[in-house]
Amino acid sequence: MDLNLTPEALAFRDELRAWLGTNLDRPWREGLRDPGATEDSLVELRRAWQRKLYQAGYLGMGWPPEWGGRGATEVEKAIFEAELAAADAPPILNILGIGLLGPALIHHGSEAQRRRFIPPMLSGDEIWCQGFSEPGAGSDLASLKTAAVLDGDHFVVNGQKVWTTFGPWADWIFVLCRTDPKDRYGGISFVLCKLDTPGITVRPLRQITGESEFGEVFFEDARVPKENLVGKIGEGWRIAMTVLAYERGASSLAYSQRFARDLRLLALALAERGRLIGSGREKVARLLVENEVMRANGVRMLATFAEGKAPGTESSLEKIFWSEFDQRFRETAIDLLGPGGQLLRSSPGARPDVDWAREFLWSRAGTIYSGSSEVQRNIVAKRVLGLPQT
Amino acid sequence: MRFELSDDQQLLRSSTRDFFTKAAPLEQSRRTMEQDARGFEAPQWRQLAEMGYVGLVVPADHGGQGLGAVELAVVAEEAGRVCLPGPWLDAVLGAALLAASGGQEELLRQACEGHKVVTIARADAPFAGAAEPAARVEKGRLRGTKYFVPFAVASDALCVATPAGIVLVSAPFDVTPTPTIDLAQRFATVTFDHAATLLGPATLFEGVDRLAAVGSAAMLLGIMQRCLEMTLAYVNTRAAFNRPIGAFQALQHRLANMLLRVESTRSAVYRAAWCVDAGDADAPLACATAKAYAGDAARLVCGETIQMHGGIGFTWELDVHLFFKRAKTLEQFYGSTEEQLERALEAAGYTER
Repeated sequence: MDLNLTPEALAFRDELRAWLGTNLDRPWREGLRDPGATEDSLVELRRAWQRKLYQAGYLGMGWPPEWGGRGATEVEKAIFEAELAAADAPPILNILGIGLLGPALIHHGSEAQRRRFIPPMLSGDEIWCQGFSEPGAGSDLASLKTAAVLDGDHFVVNGQKVWTTFGPWADWIFVLCRTDPKDRYGGISFVLCKLDTPGITVRPLRQITGESEFGEVFFEDARVPKENLVGKIGEGWRIAMTVLAYERGASSLAYSQRFARDLRLLALALAERGRLIGSGREKVARLLVENEVMRANGVRMLATFAEGKAPGTESSLEKIFWSEFDQRFRETAIDLLGPGGQLLRSSPGARPDVDWAREFLWSRAGTIYSGSSEVQRNIVAKRVLGLPQT
Repeated sequence: MRFELSDDQQLLRSSTRDFFTKAAPLEQSRRTMEQDARGFEAPQWRQLAEMGYVGLVVPADHGGQGLGAVELAVVAEEAGRVCLPGPWLDAVLGAALLAASGGQEELLRQACEGHKVVTIARADAPFAGAAEPAARVEKGRLRGTKYFVPFAVASDALCVATPAGIVLVSAPFDVTPTPTIDLAQRFATVTFDHAATLLGPATLFEGVDRLAAVGSAAMLLGIMQRCLEMTLAYVNTRAAFNRPIGAFQALQHRLANMLLRVESTRSAVYRAAWCVDAGDADAPLACATAKAYAGDAARLVCGETIQMHGGIGFTWELDVHLFFKRAKTLEQFYGSTEEQLERALEAAGYTER
């Protein structure tokens, strides 16, 4: 066993820390709390931050050099995530483009598609959203019905996507379309659509936080150029599944950094009022322990990467752990803080450290998106434990 | 960077598994557990010592193996898998304490060789909330009572925690066995009026407590792993409503939870062990984390093992209860969850009250 970072990884971390020290003006938390902040201004703040990261060569680090990559290892990518979380940097705006579509284009796209789409994706000039879920296809994604029918040089797209993150701000959407209604998996294709195409309408959906970070996208006879097909007709499902695997970095470490920071702030807030005692003290201690277990899982995952092994089904366990811990943590935080924990950030008297109310509400999303906890447990049961089909 | 064990550590794991498979099959262990007042068999104990398992973490020039916390975790995990009865973990910690104190060379050597059993007596009360130290040193003699003394009935010497520091006393002892739910363990109340030798200050417990946390958490890990394996085997064969019960989602999701606990415990235990050996600054927090989490996780995993076995799971005949009970003891001793939570807060710097 050796859980020390290699000298190379340490050098990368230190260089990144130094860069963050000079380039991150203020923590994201403070940007969020700015009284003048609107959803639009926050998007622009994130866009500007993404541009800085891009110019410093920190985006698409693992991609081939011609696409801005620097041959970064999985370990360096995980360190990157963890350091950004520790510094409380704004979340990367074009995360769906860079996290999902980028790898799809690099592995399955044409040279022309890569040239056209990757540079503005990295610079934040074109924001992408993901058109996977539909009103009738959530956990059972392969039952999707949005149809793309070839008509000359164009696909004619009809249908509806929903829970489309960044939909209200995006310029483009990558869409899983049905090209063969008789073939459940082989009848799905991966198509790129510009959102200002006639026949495409984006409608924001208001979330329980009051924000509209996601929306729904309607397609009515939208004509999309044939060259916007990624891979071949019928390869969409395979592309989507391989691409989702890239999403699975070592996220435990980054989450544990973020939770550790907020947990420390919670403990301080309680101690200030003489409330880090009794049952509250025990609850904080249990959260601390669970978060340290998450850190241990993250370190283990990092070491697994360092040995050159690809992440497997551990990512399902990882996601169940952090998303369910998030809920327990945020619920407990509000309980321990008392009614003041529910104050909206716009309210007089709201705590300046963490937007506890928003975090509490947001924690309900993590167990649903990117494969619900139920789907993750199905994956663990089938693929890791080898249990029989239900 | 590497989470996997080194080649030597993997060899230790496989040789330990082979050894326990032959020397401590459950059928034989059950006889010891149910019939032997001392809680272990002398020939097996000598074998354990000859293999170097008792002096595992004692430096080689003191008669031990000179191995670290990772190796302790490896052996403890295997001991958990077979629900090993007897004083192995208690004796490892007793030897570690003697080694840390220095000055008891001959006793330490005999302990490592298995000729003497030395354990640690700490509890001042049978129930939570001891107000007063129950044993004190006055004029060189230890007087008073200690509770839940592990394997006192077979101990040749005891290291006893007192307000004046840790003292060593020698058999014979006035021992009243106090049977608990755990068949693999033997506890007793011991009343002392003994000449006492000072081993050192209570701070000697710091290093020992970390080994205790790692060792007991690793044993809990082995217990959990074995319980998960037994449960998987059962749900794949037991049929109801014309299908194996493992096909029901109600069970599948809970089995996924069990795996999550087992694998997370594994991460926490081996990271803690590595931190101890590497002298990493995270060691105190990592050790407290491993033990606190493992205790809770094992209770869940062993409890689910009983539940998923149904009626047979509640029988004396099936082995499952041995693991369930052992897990409960390991959870409450070697630094209880309550103590570990407090240590975690302290290690993380959350000391304000």
